[in-house]
Amino acid sequence: MPNIVVLVKQVPDTYSERRLSDSDHTLDRDSADAVLDEINERAVEEALLIKEAQGGEVTVLSVGPDRATEAIRKALSMGADKAVHVSDPALHGSCVIQTSKVIAAAVGKVDGVDLVIAGNEATDGRSGAVPAILAELLGYPQLTHARKVVIEGTTIKVTRETDEGLTHLEASLPAVVSVGEKINEPRYPSFKGIMAAKKKPVETLTVADLGIDAGEVGLASATSTVVEAAPKPPRAAGQKVEDEGDGGAKIAEYLVGQKLI
Amino acid sequence: MSFTESEERQALRKAVAELGRKYGHEYTLKAARSGGHTTELWNEAGELGYLGVSVPEEFGGGGGGIGDLAAVCEELGATGTGLLQMVVSPAICATIIARFGTPEQKSRWLPGFADGTLRMAFAITEPDAGSNAHRLTTTARRVGDGWVLNGRKVYISCVDESQSVMVVGRTEDAKTGKLKPALFVVPTDAPGFEFQRIEMDVIAPDSQFQVFIDDVHLPAEALVGSEDAALMQLFAGLNPERIMASAYAVGMGRFALDKAVEYAKTRTVWKEPIGAHQAVAHPLAKAKVELELAKLMTQKAAALYDSGDDMAAGEAANMAKYAAGEAVVNAVDAAVQTHGGNGLASEYGLGALVAASRLTRIAPVSREMILNFVAQFSLGLPKSY
Ligand SMILES: Cc1cc2nc3c(=O)[nH]c(=O)nc-3n(C[C@H](O)[C@H](O)[C@H](O)COP(=O)(O)OP(=O)(O)OC[C@H]3O[C@@H](n4cnc5c(N)ncnc54)[C@H](O)[C@@H]3O)c2cc1C
Repeated sequence: MPNIVVLVKQVPDTYSERRLSDSDHTLDRDSADAVLDEINERAVEEALLIKEAQGGEVTVLSVGPDRATEAIRKALSMGADKAVHVSDPALHGSCVIQTSKVIAAAVGKVDGVDLVIAGNEATDGRSGAVPAILAELLGYPQLTHARKVVIEGTTIKVTRETDEGLTHLEASLPAVVSVGEKINEPRYPSFKGIMAAKKKPVETLTVADLGIDAGEVGLASATSTVVEAAPKPPRAAGQKVEDEGDGGAKIAEYLVGQKLI
Repeated sequence: MSFTESEERQALRKAVAELGRKYGHEYTLKAARSGGHTTELWNEAGELGYLGVSVPEEFGGGGGGIGDLAAVCEELGATGTGLLQMVVSPAICATIIARFGTPEQKSRWLPGFADGTLRMAFAITEPDAGSNAHRLTTTARRVGDGWVLNGRKVYISCVDESQSVMVVGRTEDAKTGKLKPALFVVPTDAPGFEFQRIEMDVIAPDSQFQVFIDDVHLPAEALVGSEDAALMQLFAGLNPERIMASAYAVGMGRFALDKAVEYAKTRTVWKEPIGAHQAVAHPLAKAKVELELAKLMTQKAAALYDSGDDMAAGEAANMAKYAAGEAVVNAVDAAVQTHGGNGLASEYGLGALVAASRLTRIAPVSREMILNFVAQFSLGLPKSY
């Protein structure tokens, strides 16, 4: 009966316009609708599938501002059992290493963890480094780019899919797994799930509760900073190919020029 | 008084909207244009408990109110995937059975409403009794323990997709000999029950039917609730119907408005996008205001209904239905106009909404009959009929 922690993150909806704030180049959270990151929905789904097959407990863990409770509720309404929410103004602007330290400490607050499931990378920051750093900090093996996860006793088997092909991985629990887009189709929360979510326990912690000094996290002591940011240039007009009987050849020429064929 | 919906209601709206977006307007249009149905969406919404949100928990439902059901209806509509039968099956039929059904009727039908596997049409309109329900002629005779039903119904939605129809008929009062309304659940495959599709110029994935009921034999338990309380039962079902019709209309209006706004922001004919011209912007702003007002009245009606105040809910539900019917017609009109020629091109799918949006002005109760109700009931004016 695996005890699973799923890392979830609230991100700006990819449908809305995403911006960095002018003052410190951190994410402007007010400019866009916030949602549970889709890759995390898949991570939650995978945890629920394992739980449905083998029992156990699913805890969602989120590090983020107060409004991340919405993302947490979504995960709980899908069927997770409880949540840990680390929320602290001191975390504003934290880098991946700081964030991973906080997550590692928070994972330590959950008893007897067998498996940590994360998404490969979040759709906002896209550094894709947190699962690896976390595995290192926890001293767990890491299995990345999972498209299939099987748990057999104290062993985890993962089919790893990258552009290079499929690899079959095996490790002993506890472990960190990061899942890719193709792992599953996340469920929609049922109405009963939505109604039940509110009654599920959410433990809210500050960095101090985790035994971390506020000075160790946040923009001021971050290991990386955004120096400059510019909005995406507007899409330029495309190139029109007039077909005078040689349209096909012209298109091929263009594609060759772009090194696409 | 709170003007913010509960966290759960908001989460429900989001979840339903996501489901609707997965299917999308294209899906609904394709079904509509090919004479098909949106059964997959109905089934999935049912499995997720979205169609049974207001069915009592003890029968497998969500235990919520009509306000929750209206939120589901509106959000699907807002993604262009509105489900017309939500106005009928879970709203009228399930409500009447949950409130007035016998214990056997409840345990027989409510679990199916809870997960959407049971679809029940509702038939009140007759060829000679539309706005005037006093002229209903569908009649049930007592034969032995049971009933024999005869009559005609028109414009009955979704009969082909339903296992049964709740039919409003009349029975003879044993004492006075006068006819009084009674509700019967009639299986669509009962001998003597036939239905024929009415050709409509509405592009929608659900059909309307003419229904012929000839000597249909029904067991005693086909009569819903009590023979003497049918009028009250009927009114109890008509408030949710009006609330749902409003939500359906508001959803469709939001969908049209969203498309128009998107188009007005990007289509550029002169220097600025067309949305910069007030002649384009103001009708859209007006549509927004009207839709918000209609939604607010719908929420008020639902809140009153869910609090158990049928009388006050009745007035609010009628007003909401009126407002929503006008708002959706205006929103679709503005959306079509904003799109210029594209507004009538099949690709944009707005032309299909022109006729569909008129529906809420006519059914389930016409704009004129609502104004009659407000004139008489709310204002105390004399009656002309
Ligand atoms: C798409 C669609 C789906 C429907 N689905 C169903 C269904 O599932 N079940 C069902 O039972 N019915 C259904 N109906 C029927 C609908 O409820 C009726 O069409 C509606 O109640 C109006 O009745 P009518 O068509 O007989 O119009 P009529 O009663 O003939 O009215 C014609 C016109 O006269 C006006 N009018 C009538 N009386 C007055 C008055 N006293 N004062 C002022 N104006 C008046 C009306 O407002 C209307 O404009 C549906 C209709 C449509 C179009």
